[in-house]
Amino acid sequence: MRAFLVIIALGFSMAIMISIPQGIIANQEAAQNLTEDYNTTIVNMQEEINKTATLIEISASSGRGMFSSTPSGAPSGMPPAGFGQEEVFINETIGDEIRTIEHVKDVVPFLEKSSDETTSETISTPRGSFTISRPLYTITGVSLNSTFIDNYSILPTNIIAGENLSEGDSGVLLISLNLSEYYDVGVGDNMEIYGVSFTVVGIYNSTGQGTMGSRSVCMNITDAQTVTGQVGNVSRFDVYAEDVSYVDSIADVIKAAYSDLYVTTYEDRLTNLENMQEMYTQTLNNAESTLAQTQATATQEIVIAVVATSLIVLFVMLYTVRERTREIGILKAIGFSNWNVMSQFMLEGILVSLMGGVVGIAIGSIGASFLSSLLLPHISLFGGSSGRFQPSFGSTNPGTIGSETASAALNPELMLLAFGVAVLLGALGSLYPAWRASRTSPMEALRYE
Amino acid sequence: MSELVLETEKLDKVYKLGGRQVRALSDVNLQVKKGDFISIMGPSGSGKTTLLNMLGCLDKPTYGKVILDGVDVTKVPEKRLFKIRKYKVGFVFQTFNLMPYLNAIENVELPMDGTKKSGDEKRKRARELLKLVGLSEREEHRPHRLSAGEQQRVAIARALANNPAIVLADEPTGNLDSKTGYEIIRLLGKLNIDQGTTMVLVTHDSHKAALASRMLSLNDGKLLAKEKEGAHLLKKELICPHCGREIQPDDEFCPRCGKKL
Repeated sequence: MRAFLVIIALGFSMAIMISIPQGIIANQEAAQNLTEDYNTTIVNMQEEINKTATLIEISASSGRGMFSSTPSGAPSGMPPAGFGQEEVFINETIGDEIRTIEHVKDVVPFLEKSSDETTSETISTPRGSFTISRPLYTITGVSLNSTFIDNYSILPTNIIAGENLSEGDSGVLLISLNLSEYYDVGVGDNMEIYGVSFTVVGIYNSTGQGTMGSRSVCMNITDAQTVTGQVGNVSRFDVYAEDVSYVDSIADVIKAAYSDLYVTTYEDRLTNLENMQEMYTQTLNNAESTLAQTQATATQEIVIAVVATSLIVLFVMLYTVRERTREIGILKAIGFSNWNVMSQFMLEGILVSLMGGVVGIAIGSIGASFLSSLLLPHISLFGGSSGRFQPSFGSTNPGTIGSETASAALNPELMLLAFGVAVLLGALGSLYPAWRASRTSPMEALRYE
Repeated sequence: MSELVLETEKLDKVYKLGGRQVRALSDVNLQVKKGDFISIMGPSGSGKTTLLNMLGCLDKPTYGKVILDGVDVTKVPEKRLFKIRKYKVGFVFQTFNLMPYLNAIENVELPMDGTKKSGDEKRKRARELLKLVGLSEREEHRPHRLSAGEQQRVAIARALANNPAIVLADEPTGNLDSKTGYEIIRLLGKLNIDQGTTMVLVTHDSHKAALASRMLSLNDGKLLAKEKEGAHLLKKELICPHCGREIQPDDEFCPRCGKKL
């Protein structure tokens, strides 16, 4: 019975020793992933910004145009319009006016409108869960002009079924893969938008672009204006200068003429990118310092667990030696050497702690994540801090980082290590008791009652 | 049969008890020949156990020599003393001192741990010894399932395991009833005769002491000069198993206590 309790107690100590490194490893992996994701995002954005040096983004609301209207991902990679902010529109005649500004090469209008259908979603965060209602998808009206299509890749490029939109198309849709899956519609099927039926001509792949902004429908801008009741209105313009050197002057003219519009140039975008990089760096630094803190805590806890385990073994073995003094006396009287006696008690201590190790692995493999989350409370900060930035870029998968923490599998190396530690601590803890046992005078021991 | 198995020279033992010196043994000169069955008698506190501990290498004398089977054990370093205990001496205790978690045969095998004997040889030897003490039927029993007398028999078998030069029995009948006690003494006597095992029996019971071949008395740590000749009755197995008194070879009932033999 006593042995059983001791083994359970040891088991918990061992489980702590096993779980904590696991938690740490999981945290490190999470931090690593975070860094990689951030780096990828930054690089992608940098590339896109560089490709579009001559682009000036004009939009009616501040939330738009930050990075969302980059050419290759025109309708994708952005939050649905109306999510958290009002949809504001611009009269499309402003586009014609801008077109007349000197050195402006092209003005490409876009209309973005959230779908009439909405969905309720429960979002769980480390700080609790809440339910929000948001549009099911975004409708993007694109000006289907062959010059625009060819020069500015205003349409999604990764078509996986059917074909892309082309000049003059009307009454047809290009939809994102996840939307096609959501509604179970394929190429050739019909889909109702604002009560008007459209035919799906193509599906583009939206994976790797986040789940929030990727449910999307592309159509001719005139169709979009008609069905959404926004005839004559657009959401934003992509203004292309003839040369990079004209960008600033054009932007200045536009800013002067239309003070209520938001104008974003290459430099603005770079500044934004820098800001974002700064934020990332800060987040990563936070994550790192959290990790360092966690590791310090873990080290302390492991030391405590090691000391506790050794002390348990030590006291139990001291008690055992005391309890079995007489037995030791007998063994010595019938000719057992000090070494025989010592090794016997050492072996016993090692055996007990080895069994503790087995129990520890059992407990650890069941409750490692629980134990490490219990013992390392800072882990949840990762999920929280990374989640904050998720909606701003589409290329990371929101939610994965938070859930990755402390869920690493129990690996065999760690188990082997745990056994090694068990043997070591068993030997360490029983060293002194065994030595004392071996030194017992047989005569005294035999008198002991 | 004149070879000396055990010899002590001017054996002294002084204990310190609370700053006071107690002389437990003083100038003990003892000679035990091979095949002897000697009894050492004395009141409690006379130094019997101290002497026995000294003879069995469990304790070191303050002064003097203990020569066991030709070796002066007082000069053997502590580290190697266990070998003397293992191979030269067999102990039989008042409280049997069997390992409670080992069965009879394992208890007998215990002193053979660490010897060159293989597992089979140990088992064979232990079996022989248990047969010798009349416990062949009880090999697998643990001590708590054996009677006190049976436990002491196992202890005797254990003492003989490594074929020691001498068996030291410290009040072996102290925890036994009278009849069982005599049976144990008879067994020791029988082993002395059949196996030629040299025996030293320590007791405070003069009846039992008188059954040995030589009777020594210890008083206040001194061996009394006059040594009595024992009854030798053990040699003829002519003692009553119930009261230990002398009987005749053809007696059916003990002439003293009247019980059936």
